[in-house]
Amino acid sequence: MAIGSIGALDAASAYGKALGVGRTGGVGGSAGAGSVGKSSGSAFGGMVESLVGNAAGSMRAAEAASARQVAGKGDLIDVATAMGAAETALDTVVAVRDRMVNAYTDIMRLQI
Amino acid sequence: MDLVDSIRVSATGLRAQSLRMRIIAENLANADSVSATPGGDPYRRRIASFQVDMDRDSGTTGVGVRSIDGDKAAFQRSYQPGNPAADAKGYVLLPNVNPLVEAADMKAAQRSYEANLNAIEAAKTLTMRTIDLLK
Repeated sequence: MAIGSIGALDAASAYGKALGVGRTGGVGGSAGAGSVGKSSGSAFGGMVESLVGNAAGSMRAAEAASARQVAGKGDLIDVATAMGAAETALDTVVAVRDRMVNAYTDIMRLQI
Repeated sequence: MDLVDSIRVSATGLRAQSLRMRIIAENLANADSVSATPGGDPYRRRIASFQVDMDRDSGTTGVGVRSIDGDKAAFQRSYQPGNPAADAKGYVLLPNVNPLVEAADMKAAQRSYEANLNAIEAAKTLTMRTIDLLK
């Protein structure tokens, strides 16, 4: 496993893969834990991926709204609600990620 | 999520009340606007009215602007023969804006806006506290 490149999503998909191992009785040998880039196969990694995608989408909407506001064409209420939605989405993702990374490190610390 | 929807509904309230504030500001600003032509009608007070605005996508019921109508109340007449807007008999029609009514209306709009702000704040706090459960 590429320890050096462990990011949050790697952890997510690795964790998802680990769950998959438990459920299906083994991931295919070629797609072992070494290739954790693709997370489409794992429910948990996929969930985090869509969460992050949603958060990024609402961040972009907030950014667009504030850009319009700065340009003098926007609506302050739009900016406030878009920013609020983006903040909520990001906070949710961060909270879920933290929990998940914690779970992952807990698993890594298991005595074998 | 319902809390996000409630913020969206409150935002429609904010928008409606800010429009109402704008109409009141226009009424107050034009409280002395007489006709541009002799004997013509002066500024007519405007009233914003609202209606239920259903959003089919989210199933929420916000508020929308139904119309902005002129107040049908009669204009005030004042004898000012020297006024350029006076008619042949020397009477000038003045707008049917009553600053006291506008002040009361403005207070109501302000309070309603604040109520919507508070609702947004409450929904936001609840969302954040729910997220905090994860931490």
